[in-house]
Amino acid sequence: MAINKPYNNRAWLGVLPVLLIVSFSAVIPLMTVVNYSVQDILDFNSRFYVGLDWYRETLQDPRFIDAFGRQVLFSLSVLAIEIPLGILVARGLPKSGAWTSVLLILLAVPLLIPWNVVGTIWQIYARSDIGLLGVGLNELGLAFNYTSNPTHAWLTLIAMDVWHWTSLVALLSFAGLTSVPPAYYQAAELDGASKWQVFRYVEMPRLGGVLVIAVLLRLMDSFMIYTEPFVLTGGGPGNATTFLSQYLATMAVGQFDLGPAAAFSVIYFLFILLFCWIFYNSVMSDETVEDVVEDRADDNETRHHD
Amino acid sequence: MANIVLDQLGFAYPGASEQTLLPLSVEIKDGEAFALLGASGAGKTTLLNLLSGLLVPTTGRILFDGVDVSAQSGSERNLAQVFQFPVLYESLTIADNLAFPLRARKAVNGFSAADIASRVTKIAGELEIENLLKRKPKTLSLFQKQLVAIGRALMRPDVSVVLLDEPLTAVEPRTKWQLRQSLKRLQEELGVTMIYVTHDQTEALTFADRVAVMADGKILQTASPQEVYEHPAHEFVGFFIGSPGMNFVAIDTAAPDPMYAASGVDKSAQRIGFRPEWARLESPSMNGPSSAVHWPARVTHCQILGTQDGLPVGITTLASEAGELKVRGAINMGVGDDIKVTVDRFVSFSDEQYIATHYAQSSTGQLANSVGDE
Repeated sequence: MAINKPYNNRAWLGVLPVLLIVSFSAVIPLMTVVNYSVQDILDFNSRFYVGLDWYRETLQDPRFIDAFGRQVLFSLSVLAIEIPLGILVARGLPKSGAWTSVLLILLAVPLLIPWNVVGTIWQIYARSDIGLLGVGLNELGLAFNYTSNPTHAWLTLIAMDVWHWTSLVALLSFAGLTSVPPAYYQAAELDGASKWQVFRYVEMPRLGGVLVIAVLLRLMDSFMIYTEPFVLTGGGPGNATTFLSQYLATMAVGQFDLGPAAAFSVIYFLFILLFCWIFYNSVMSDETVEDVVEDRADDNETRHHD
Repeated sequence: MANIVLDQLGFAYPGASEQTLLPLSVEIKDGEAFALLGASGAGKTTLLNLLSGLLVPTTGRILFDGVDVSAQSGSERNLAQVFQFPVLYESLTIADNLAFPLRARKAVNGFSAADIASRVTKIAGELEIENLLKRKPKTLSLFQKQLVAIGRALMRPDVSVVLLDEPLTAVEPRTKWQLRQSLKRLQEELGVTMIYVTHDQTEALTFADRVAVMADGKILQTASPQEVYEHPAHEFVGFFIGSPGMNFVAIDTAAPDPMYAASGVDKSAQRIGFRPEWARLESPSMNGPSSAVHWPARVTHCQILGTQDGLPVGITTLASEAGELKVRGAINMGVGDDIKVTVDRFVSFSDEQYIATHYAQSSTGQLANSVGDE
């Protein structure tokens, strides 16, 4: 390159404001937690360095392992329901017209409700003494009671999360579907494609991008769920619906075990990061990376033939 | 492959006061390359959508091999379509894209995997895209993608008709002719009935066995490219086809110049039209044949388009008592020169309707190659 660029390290000063903001908003709080996680804190004046003891203890804590298992089960359950259901709802929406706007607004309503209100709505709705759903189910002869039956508590939580978040998947999928030009549907029709083939080969490739976002968002959010189960079941009956963040809150705020809670937080954070990373990379390697590598190989081949 | 008859086919959008397509009848022969040519808004897209089954005709019928298909879907009509931009299944390889229409209809047509594979090889060979078969659409250029889209339309050996909706729009100009040639060659080799919709006269005239020129929801003329060029049945056809289009000169019907009668112009003619290459420029003093239409004129503009035998040729624009005229041929005059325009051949029109083509004694037969040479 013949361009002479002046080298001037003062340009680094331009990055300083961002560095400052990020330090105070993310790096310093996170590092505080890391700092706590390697100490045993009795009070402000007496603290001891304990190394990775809290990490070891947390990972061996049966209550942590149970909560983790419940958390994974919960996330997988809501993803398995919300993603297909959201796509189905999006496909059912009319593509244009006055009804489209009305339906989109109605769909967005659950997303606009504060989370603990959602929890309260379902807490009342599913009560077996006064709730419409709870009383209704009991009238039908089902002995439904989410405060005493763990399965019922789980079903109520999953139903609530599906009610709350399927709209997000549906709205994202709808945006993906509207990006399919009408000619694609016409071409598939002329080719004699079945409804399934239209979905699989015309719509799915266009949905891929938004579905990655939808799964990532729902994976992270459901893995961190706190407010709604806190309001709805309070983690009960017993510990049946105690998820990671609730257990963590009990530790940090309830018992003020700062050291173990900090170690828990770091582990929790790393797990979410790990899951998202694994998911994102597996999706991306299936699609783009493979193709690019293949193309390069193809290009080289053709070049050699030439 | 099918013989297609449009019988008094008309269409109006619900609630529209005017008909988008006035009742028209035309027959497209089995294995014919047929073009629908017209400016935007002429009704060609409506006609295409009627053919493809997207719209249901309000009047008339569409017959495929004698069977009324007006109420059938495009898939039932077993037709294929190539769109303005390449439509491919993005997640499938090129080979799978080509195989798709056969696999989707396997239950109906009973194609075996081997049949499908050999057909893919054959069509890919015809289009010279064998080296792309393993690739995904997004790694292809627009030109290659459109080739594949054309290939997919030709996969079904029993396809009734292939509709082409301005298939070269998205392709860059440099590769247009290449794609057009591939298309034309395939059409001839496979003997598929093709209907090519375009606003580009070069595409229509070079591709088609017959061209239907459309305007305002009507077909003005259906004929071979040469016929359409030399004997336009309507003034619009003469104007729309050719670059530049025909010259038109109005005849004062109340007191016609005796020159017109002497030159053989029909008595009922209100206008005559002539192609830029159907006229000659001569020195004003020269005596041409007395039986030819001619006017004195002054050169206002010369556009050189090339050379022939070392001499410049192109379009000379002239001002005359007959209005502005454009003449194609050797340019040996300068702007401002006074000359005489002699018309060797012309077409007579009355109320925009074609009456007759008149040839002067000396100059016929040299026009056959002028079609589509812009």
